[in-house]
Amino acid sequence: MAKVEVLFFGRMADVAGARRKTCDAVRLLTLRESFFGADVAAVRMSVNQVQVFADQALNDGDEVAFFSVFSGG
Amino acid sequence: MGILLLEQPLNAAAAHAEFLVEHGHHGAVAAFTGVVRSESGGVDYLYLDWYPGMTEASIRAIADAAKARFDIREVAVLHRCGRVEAGEPVVFVAAASEHRRAAFEAVDYMMDRLKSEAALWKREVGDGVDRWVEPRGEDAVSLKRWS
Repeated sequence: MAKVEVLFFGRMADVAGARRKTCDAVRLLTLRESFFGADVAAVRMSVNQVQVFADQALNDGDEVAFFSVFSGG
Repeated sequence: MGILLLEQPLNAAAAHAEFLVEHGHHGAVAAFTGVVRSESGGVDYLYLDWYPGMTEASIRAIADAAKARFDIREVAVLHRCGRVEAGEPVVFVAAASEHRRAAFEAVDYMMDRLKSEAALWKREVGDGVDRWVEPRGEDAVSLKRWS
């Protein structure tokens, strides 16, 4: 099955208990739910380093990231 | 100098001197250095988590927006990531222009946007403290000055 690399930053790395995982390329929101359940109000997402705000299909080799709101420098 | 994300200590004095040598001929250089506060001794260091590639792109977008918005010739943004001890510089921003007001405003603008929009996640660690810092309301208020 197609695979995606999943990265976690900020508080979401603590919540997920990981910094990086390789996962099956399911749909984006399905992947999010697998790590965060329904508690997703604070979870931001990107695909291939572009922030996204809606569900989408993922392709083999995509880089997905889940992170908290930027807290700036 | 341009845009740099640094895992190693940031020498703000050297950065300022280099920027002056390279761009001082424009006539006006404004610079700002942000230093990690100890919060009365409670914070030993910040850990700035970053997303290689996305973080640099977010900082570059802010610098490019400043160059488009203000009458300035050059900017520099040097930002730390990783562990930054209290008392160490965390960010250096400079702008060169032919006019002081444009240089001042560009630096002010870039700092306000960096505080809210740079793809960085800040953790405070110290005596009994270990927490991710949430975005602050006052930073959002500062950002609205430019909208």
